[in-house]
Amino acid sequence: MPLFYSFFKSLVGKEVIVELKNDLSIHGTLHSVDQYLNIKLTDISIPDPDKYPHMLSVKNCFIRGSVIRYVQLPAEEVDTGLLQDATRKELAQGKQQPAASAGSAAPAVTTT
Amino acid sequence: MLPLSLLKAAQDNPMLVELKNGETYNGHLVSCDNWMNIQLKEVICTSRDGDRFWKMPECFIRGSMIKYLRIPDEVIDKVKEEAFKPRGPRPGGGPRRGGGGGRGGASRGRGGRPRGGGGGHKK
Amino acid sequence: MALSSIEPYVNRSVSIITGDGRVIVGTLKGFDQTVNIILSNSHERVYSSSSGVEQVQLGLYIIRGDNIAVIGELDEELDSEINLNDIRAEPLNPVVH
Repeated sequence: MPLFYSFFKSLVGKEVIVELKNDLSIHGTLHSVDQYLNIKLTDISIPDPDKYPHMLSVKNCFIRGSVIRYVQLPAEEVDTGLLQDATRKELAQGKQQPAASAGSAAPAVTTT
Repeated sequence: MLPLSLLKAAQDNPMLVELKNGETYNGHLVSCDNWMNIQLKEVICTSRDGDRFWKMPECFIRGSMIKYLRIPDEVIDKVKEEAFKPRGPRPGGGPRRGGGGGRGGASRGRGGRPRGGGGGHKK
Repeated sequence: MALSSIEPYVNRSVSIITGDGRVIVGTLKGFDQTVNIILSNSHERVYSSSSGVEQVQLGLYIIRGDNIAVIGELDEELDSEINLNDIRAEPLNPVVH
């Protein structure tokens, strides 16, 4: 399962702030994520409601993954050591079958 | 209901299509495919600012260029009708309902027919 | 589980924020994998900093997934309490990839 997908799934139920590529930020509880990193939030609020009253009557929403710029995470909920391990593991797996997916998917990564 | 089913049901109907570049196209839907590519006839194209117009007998629009389509309200009722309409006589003869193959709902899982006009299109 | 998350919004009132910064409200009648959606009885809410929100009837719409940023479930009770004439705000920015 892709690393970031699993990662976000581990944060379900936590509070996040999603900043979109139209500069709008949405605060809410992470309800679900799918393979495209589309995100569903519940109990949302907008940090700057005077500038952005456009979602005043929305409590739950679905955000298309492709329009997300940043997701602000609760630092205490993220185990960075675990993430580093997972990243190394994924890299090692990639090296084991280099030819299989080398074509177009991922750019080459070199380490020294 | 799938957006593309609604679009198929809108064939022969007038519609307005706005593209990502802001141009709009008014015309009658001739055909569409699974990529939302569409063919229109009797078309009026309007520039982004709405100050220039072009008339053309026919045009093709690549699905990926579309922002949205506005279609007549009644079309949505047509999709509902078509979903329940029995789809013409089957090659095997008359109605086969209630006989033996009752599993999986009325319109599902009929074998032996290519789906949705895509026959022979698989890789 | 892919995309199952839009399913609960079907036949409910939703507020869409589009890629070009518009806000469109309507009843969600359907969707597909790429988040193309069908909206019926839709109207656009046009925000402006100099006057209240203007509502423009649109009717039956298919919006392409590429052009969708957010699908919000509209809380009709909350919505009825809001006086759109009193709201002043710049329109949303377009999504810049």
